[in-house]
Amino acid sequence: MESDTMEANDAKDFTELTCTNLMIRLKILLNKVSQGDVVTFYATREQVDNTCSPFSRQGYQVSWTQTAENRYLVRIGR
Amino acid sequence: MFSSTFLFCDHLTGERASWLAAVIGAAVGRCPAGNPGRVNIFLTGDALFSLVDARARPAWAALSGLPSVQVIADADELRLQGLSLPGSTWTPGARVTGTGDRGSFWGELVSTLEREWGGTKTAAFLLCSSPYMSRVPVYMLRFLAQAVEAGLHPELYCYLDGVHTLHDGQRPSEFENIGRGVSALAGTAVHSCRDPWFAACSRCATARGYYQMNPGTGFCEPASCIQDIAIRNLKEILARFPDRHPVASHASGESVPTENEKEGAPHLVVFITNPPYGTEWTFGGISLAIAAAAEGIPTRVVFIEDGVYALYGTHEVPENDRIFNIQEMIEATTDIDGLSYFVHAPSLDDRGIDRKGGFPAAKRVTNEELSSILFSAKDGSTPAPAMRVLFF
Repeated sequence: MESDTMEANDAKDFTELTCTNLMIRLKILLNKVSQGDVVTFYATREQVDNTCSPFSRQGYQVSWTQTAENRYLVRIGR
Repeated sequence: MFSSTFLFCDHLTGERASWLAAVIGAAVGRCPAGNPGRVNIFLTGDALFSLVDARARPAWAALSGLPSVQVIADADELRLQGLSLPGSTWTPGARVTGTGDRGSFWGELVSTLEREWGGTKTAAFLLCSSPYMSRVPVYMLRFLAQAVEAGLHPELYCYLDGVHTLHDGQRPSEFENIGRGVSALAGTAVHSCRDPWFAACSRCATARGYYQMNPGTGFCEPASCIQDIAIRNLKEILARFPDRHPVASHASGESVPTENEKEGAPHLVVFITNPPYGTEWTFGGISLAIAAAAEGIPTRVVFIEDGVYALYGTHEVPENDRIFNIQEMIEATTDIDGLSYFVHAPSLDDRGIDRKGGFPAAKRVTNEELSSILFSAKDGSTPAPAMRVLFF
């Protein structure tokens, strides 16, 4: 429970990025993470559907939980 | 065989005139004898100074010497700039159009593009410059007004600073009111049973305060905007690109193979011509290219002129700075289907930049190779694609 709160506090807010720029930012971040590490951030429903979900087709583990109206805490890891 | 049209409204350097001459010359040289293709280069605004600039004159002379190339200058703008009508001594082959008739330069451009795209019903303008600071929005209005007059549906894509066109309540004391001009154009189009499609990029509009979050709904809404331009995400704007119609801009071009006038979605070439961080041009150009490729549009990005500085050295963004590292952006996106990066070798050489051992993500291309990119040849039974060219 405590680690979930820490994770949510550390998560960057990407809700204002366009889908293209979110994709670019995630590609840059995921290029830098090692096996087993996770990138955590906030995204909108549109970003989750259009940008985050497709990463699962590239071998990444993608999951999310809704935290507010149109706000999701997303985790993408290798 | 191809038919190609370029429009330049902004300052056109001797460097650009030189590589254009080399690239177009190579394309014309590859055409079968007696069938050399057609290239039209329309010049207006600041680009006209290039015709009298001693650094560019040899390139214009070389281009004008090619029988299939026409250089067309805007007479009204020539007079405005104080440029005497070109004589054969310094601009051989350049033709002036529009004398005494404001519409004819733009009318000729629209009819040339219409012919090139084989019966298109639409003409679009990608506007990246803001009203009043730049005169490009005035040219946009003239172009789209002529498109409507020619019976085409006008489309406007506002991007980067072009989204300032959205601002409601514009009241310039000395200049043509661009906001009002857009509204009048939309009205004229509808009145003529044409369907205007005017959009502004949501990222650019949000950054400039025209698209604000409503805390009650959690969604963004237009703020202080004229109603004739809808705020849309770039993906929706790029969804218009697979249609076969011209997209003009402050500096733009296209090449349409004549054997393929009515088939296939056009490909995109994006020229990055500015240094990487001083303005939004480089980020905006690469973002648009990546989004286009993600939409399934085969896209080539060419770093050229001062754009080659994006590949120079190793960029490190300070921790307290909020900006995309352009080099990381390029490296992270090389695996996107349909997206490829190139760097113009003569631009590197002119600047004394040695890329040995650095930045393999962008392939080095000569003028000859660049010519093959812009004016693709038919590959066996596969028809050559039409190309759209946008300068950032």
